[in-house]
Amino acid sequence: MRIVIGEGSCGIAAGAKKLHSALSQLGAEVGITGCIGMCYLEPIIDLYEGQDLKARLVRVQDKDAQRIVDAAKSGDLSGVEDLRISSDDESFLSKQTRIALRHCGIIDPESIDSYRAADGYKAIAKVRESMTPEEVIEEIKISGLAGRGGAGFPTWFKWNAARNSKGDEKYLICNADEGDPGAFMDRAVIESDPHSLLEGMLIAAYAIGAKRAFVYVRAEYPLAIIRLEKAIADATAAGIMGDCEIRIKAGAGAFVCGEETALIESLEGNRGMPRLKPPFPAEKGYIQKPSNINNVETFANVAWIILNGGKAFAAMGTENSKGTKVFALTGKIRRGGLVEIPMGLTLRDVIFDIGGGIRDGKKFKAVQMGGPSGGCIPESLLDTRIDYKELGATGAIMGSGGMVVMDDSTCMVNMARFFLDFTAKESCGKCVHCRIGTKRLHETLVRITEGKGKEGDVELLEELCRGIKDGALCGLGQTAPNPVLTTIRYFRDEYDAHIRQQQCPAKECVALRRFTIDPVKCRGCTMCARNCPVGAITGTVKNPHVIDQTKCIKCGACKATCKFGAIND
Amino acid sequence: MCENCVKSDLSLLEPVFREFEGDEHALVSILQKAQEVYGYLPIDAVYRIAENQKVSPAKVLGVATFYSQFRLQPVGKNLILLCKGTACHVNGADTIAKAIKEELGIGDGETTADGVFSLKEVACLGCCSLSPVMMVNETAYGSLTPAKAKAILRGIRDEGK
Amino acid sequence: MIKLTIDGVTVEVEEGTTVLAAAEKAGIEIPNLCFMKELSPYGACGICVVEVEKCPKLLRACATKATDGMVVTTNGERAMRARKLAMELLMGDHDGDCLGPCKLNCPAHTDCQKYVKEISEGRFADAVATIKETFPLPAAIGRVCPHPCEKHCRRGLVESPISIAHLKYFAADQVRADGNEHPVPVSSPTGKKVGIVGGGPAGLSAAFKLAQYGHAVTVYDQMPEMGGMLRYGIPEYRLPKSILKCETDAIAALGVKFVNNFKIGRDAQLEELRGQFDALIVANGAWKSTPMRVKGEDLQGVWGGIDFLRAVVTGQSVEIGNRVAIVGGGNTAMDACRTAVRCGAKEVYVVYRRTRKEMPAEDIEIAEAEEEGVVFKFLCTPDEILGRDGHVVGAKLQVMELGEPDERGRRKPVPVPGKFETIELDTMIIAVGQRNDPEGFELMPKTEKGTIAADPKNFETSLPGVFACGDTVNRGAGIAIAAIAQANEAALAVNAFLAGGRYEPVEPVVSERNLTADNFKDEPRIPRVKMPQRSAEERRHDFKEVNLGLTAEAAMAEAKRCLKCGCHDYADCKLIRYANLLRTDTQRLRGDFHTGYVEADLVAIERNQRKCITCNQCVRVCEQIAKKGLLGLVGRGFKTVIKPEFNDPSAIAGCRDCHLCVDNCPTGALRLLDK
Repeated sequence: MRIVIGEGSCGIAAGAKKLHSALSQLGAEVGITGCIGMCYLEPIIDLYEGQDLKARLVRVQDKDAQRIVDAAKSGDLSGVEDLRISSDDESFLSKQTRIALRHCGIIDPESIDSYRAADGYKAIAKVRESMTPEEVIEEIKISGLAGRGGAGFPTWFKWNAARNSKGDEKYLICNADEGDPGAFMDRAVIESDPHSLLEGMLIAAYAIGAKRAFVYVRAEYPLAIIRLEKAIADATAAGIMGDCEIRIKAGAGAFVCGEETALIESLEGNRGMPRLKPPFPAEKGYIQKPSNINNVETFANVAWIILNGGKAFAAMGTENSKGTKVFALTGKIRRGGLVEIPMGLTLRDVIFDIGGGIRDGKKFKAVQMGGPSGGCIPESLLDTRIDYKELGATGAIMGSGGMVVMDDSTCMVNMARFFLDFTAKESCGKCVHCRIGTKRLHETLVRITEGKGKEGDVELLEELCRGIKDGALCGLGQTAPNPVLTTIRYFRDEYDAHIRQQQCPAKECVALRRFTIDPVKCRGCTMCARNCPVGAITGTVKNPHVIDQTKCIKCGACKATCKFGAIND
Repeated sequence: MCENCVKSDLSLLEPVFREFEGDEHALVSILQKAQEVYGYLPIDAVYRIAENQKVSPAKVLGVATFYSQFRLQPVGKNLILLCKGTACHVNGADTIAKAIKEELGIGDGETTADGVFSLKEVACLGCCSLSPVMMVNETAYGSLTPAKAKAILRGIRDEGK
Repeated sequence: MIKLTIDGVTVEVEEGTTVLAAAEKAGIEIPNLCFMKELSPYGACGICVVEVEKCPKLLRACATKATDGMVVTTNGERAMRARKLAMELLMGDHDGDCLGPCKLNCPAHTDCQKYVKEISEGRFADAVATIKETFPLPAAIGRVCPHPCEKHCRRGLVESPISIAHLKYFAADQVRADGNEHPVPVSSPTGKKVGIVGGGPAGLSAAFKLAQYGHAVTVYDQMPEMGGMLRYGIPEYRLPKSILKCETDAIAALGVKFVNNFKIGRDAQLEELRGQFDALIVANGAWKSTPMRVKGEDLQGVWGGIDFLRAVVTGQSVEIGNRVAIVGGGNTAMDACRTAVRCGAKEVYVVYRRTRKEMPAEDIEIAEAEEEGVVFKFLCTPDEILGRDGHVVGAKLQVMELGEPDERGRRKPVPVPGKFETIELDTMIIAVGQRNDPEGFELMPKTEKGTIAADPKNFETSLPGVFACGDTVNRGAGIAIAAIAQANEAALAVNAFLAGGRYEPVEPVVSERNLTADNFKDEPRIPRVKMPQRSAEERRHDFKEVNLGLTAEAAMAEAKRCLKCGCHDYADCKLIRYANLLRTDTQRLRGDFHTGYVEADLVAIERNQRKCITCNQCVRVCEQIAKKGLLGLVGRGFKTVIKPEFNDPSAIAGCRDCHLCVDNCPTGALRLLDK
């Protein structure tokens, strides 16, 4: 049997590379694949018989190498039975519908042949042989594909605008500057299936008439860059690129460059500060030439649509939102990873049926969607469908696909503070509303989480939010207030508890915690006193201990070490 | 050129300039390569790049200070990128930051006195399912606990000895 | 050509015109801070946002091209909200002083920083002209003013405030001695006549202003000389009357007619005057001592504070004996006790019910009184004035202690039950306050306190054409410069009234830095100049002036200590103009300030990044128009600063001759240095 190991960034971080060399040292032939999406089970090894997956082994450790090699050689799986994925975990995959991720975790991302064997580059061949650019755009129109980067703008419309724009020098740009904290769909696609991105781009370049294209990738994704470089080299060598040149440009760390005009500025070698719109990029984009920008996931759907027809794509989803969407499911979720589902499933389907609900038996509190531009959706709205319009109505957004699940130990005020810390730091500093407004939002939220909130702070936050939404220049600023507005909308009681009672219901805000020792439960084991970094705990052996509140720095070390549950907070 | 500035070996930039010759939009890429060469962006290199690209030094500095990847000061031998993304936040990235601070005595943007480690907090490393995560010299370490993070750093320090 | 509607006005413009330019053509101002015709639109400030019909978002007028049939609203609620917020955010991050705290805290907003600078440069006549832009009595006010300017002077956070009051009268004395005072500008005659009742600081200041406006002014006063309390309340040793006379004469020289020994109700009725003049200002002051209402107050030898001072000034024979007690803790009490010393009393007491800390009198006055031998009896108050044969012989004092703080935070004195003290006295002077005399002004509506009721902003009374200001109105007696401030406003109100309008002043919005001593810890310490004085032993025997005045060298050195807090660009600042237009609260959205730095060493331009609003105008002008590109944005987000790249001497050489950046800075962040 063939041994294939998942070597996406997550797998590698979980130890896949070390495992790989352990297996190689034992003389085994080891193939690689990208990310299967079950990140919580990494490292993962698949055993294949020809093209048939015979066994999937999960949470494999280096010490398991020998018996895996033995099993692969002999074909007898009894020795690795305990490593096989449970049927419960298998349901994580079985409930998904994979289009953008169709090859992820299956093919070898570093092999063009592996891609070709999976119908790779057949769509671009079909396009070049038998379709006019207009027909391609029409097919995309039929599919109803919308921009997967977050805004959800119809893809065909952008292509069409760029195609119809005057000028013969046009540019195609792939936005792979996946900056939303909590989202890694694009990284996974590039690492696991780089050729599918290239094929999608080649089709788009054909449709709009671009001869030059860029992929703007985050510098934090080194593996993605390496695999994409190889893919471009291989495709060029194979003569697939035609008259289109695709170059990689590494971002240099600026979230705002996810905004298309800022991205263009960055591509031109400037500070990534958004431009005024209009003119839109379709008219004047990169070096003032007509340009079209789509995100990775959008491109990853294109080849499939060409081969299977726009209708097949549009058959999935809802009235407003067609096809599938990939989500990065993370946070306090039992089964975290990459999920691709047809539009129209509910949040509950994704979080509970696929994700398996909350970890450690805790209670669901909220799911954050859309990152710093999105919002937190409470339990009462879990039956909201995955649909641009319906999600928008909650105050959150579909976003690029980050879905961070929170339980009752997450403080929602602190969550808002976290996001505003992010946006304030990432604000480019150009427009007043964003530069100073997000800073003031953040300062106010910090004050509240430190127990220094005052009556009227929530109203001040709302006023600032409204003004920033209206006045900010680009999408970053205009959406920055969303995490604040949604947490106020759904979790106002938590704000009030911080401000009026000086309490953090989730017990997350350090300044508002107060640790005490229950004298009845305390056995006088001295563990807490020995672990207290500031010597705030006193007491004698076998007698109840006491915390000196004036010295306590609220680090929680005592609570973490107490075996008797005697520490209250 | 200022008199108090460092004197870097500017000839190291020549291959970089050749690679991007004729590309007037390559400033970000050139700065990235220059940082690979020197480990940071020495101010005299910034001037040399400006001269080569025929733009003002003010513009190059503007670009270099806009992106969080660039640094104008040298960093330690090992660069720790601590993820402060949403998933990491929810799963306790703050406690990891504290542990690193305890272990190394440095905060965000600082370098240990012996020059072995620098710490930089970053927005998201995209390894959310392994959160909390840190990356040391492009190797990601996931599912951290404060103790695990300390152990990893000790291991790296010992390896270097 | 295309046609669009802006705020209901239809305007025709060429295609390609921005909404901002189209509005300008229609005569509608859309505020903006980062727009410049010669540069490509930038869109940073967000102040020019407007609503366009059928567009769901607010649009930036600077960057939006007008289209045919477009319907634009520039002042809709939503746009105004976003615009106001932008201004509040900007002002909350604008770490600069529009005005020096000296000018800001002077009730009359005298331009202290300006005349201090002029004095530092030896331009004394210019300094006097600057002071006279506000009021006509620099030598007198410089001697008597309790100078709130100095209390707020930032130099006080370094070591001690600039000696602003002393500098003021130094300049006036010097110019008088040199005889080189600039002529006061006067408008051509208007033919209007204004009568002023009261020739004190308020009446004289109003007369001075109105004369400058070109009106024919007559001042009536009940006393033989002009000057009011300056003449009859302030002792000679603080303000020599000959000096005051020079200053009142200068007012007369402007054509103001002085009528003395003229009392309303006795020599004419108010209504008669109303008939003679186009407008009237009542500024008759507060000339009645407030009684204490204790037993024995009607005994011989018991004086009111200002009555006593006036008696001495006018040369009446005042028999006060050897033992004198003054009740009260204000400046009048200090004037009275020091005058008593000079009248030959052997033992002079000041009886005050609180402690020295709570005394409202100037510290320097208290100290000088002590030097002259005055004994302070704190925490006691007269319970009864004791008399024999109708004349005071002593006082029974109730001992007090300090209780709970009152609403102003001052601890309230409360009697210690049963604890008394008795002192023997020949004279008792009660200086606990003063009030206006309503006699002759019965027609005028009064406040609850019995003062004349006037509008606190423009000092109109309910009698058309009659204005009132100074100690006689509203809250009653205060310091001279506050009365002058009111007089200046009243003069403006009269001027408007005479032109058929109404003066409705609006408090200007200004930016103010909140600083502490910590901000100045690196500032070099330079001691404040000491005013030379006659010794206590010498001065307690006569009424000659205590202070000997500053030399020109000392004054110039003292003036050079000024930190120059107020902004050079206040008059032309676009930012503060919009802050006023939009009535921006400059403090509400204060938080951390962006990283600021001040750099003035390298080139002829001072850069004060603390005031910078990051509109990027200077960077763009330097790059796009001057074609130098010496400036750049450094950093990102809130921390963004604009920095020149001056590590390179050739860059410094490149920054020359052209100061386009300074000219186009919408606020005072850039300044062309004099060098």
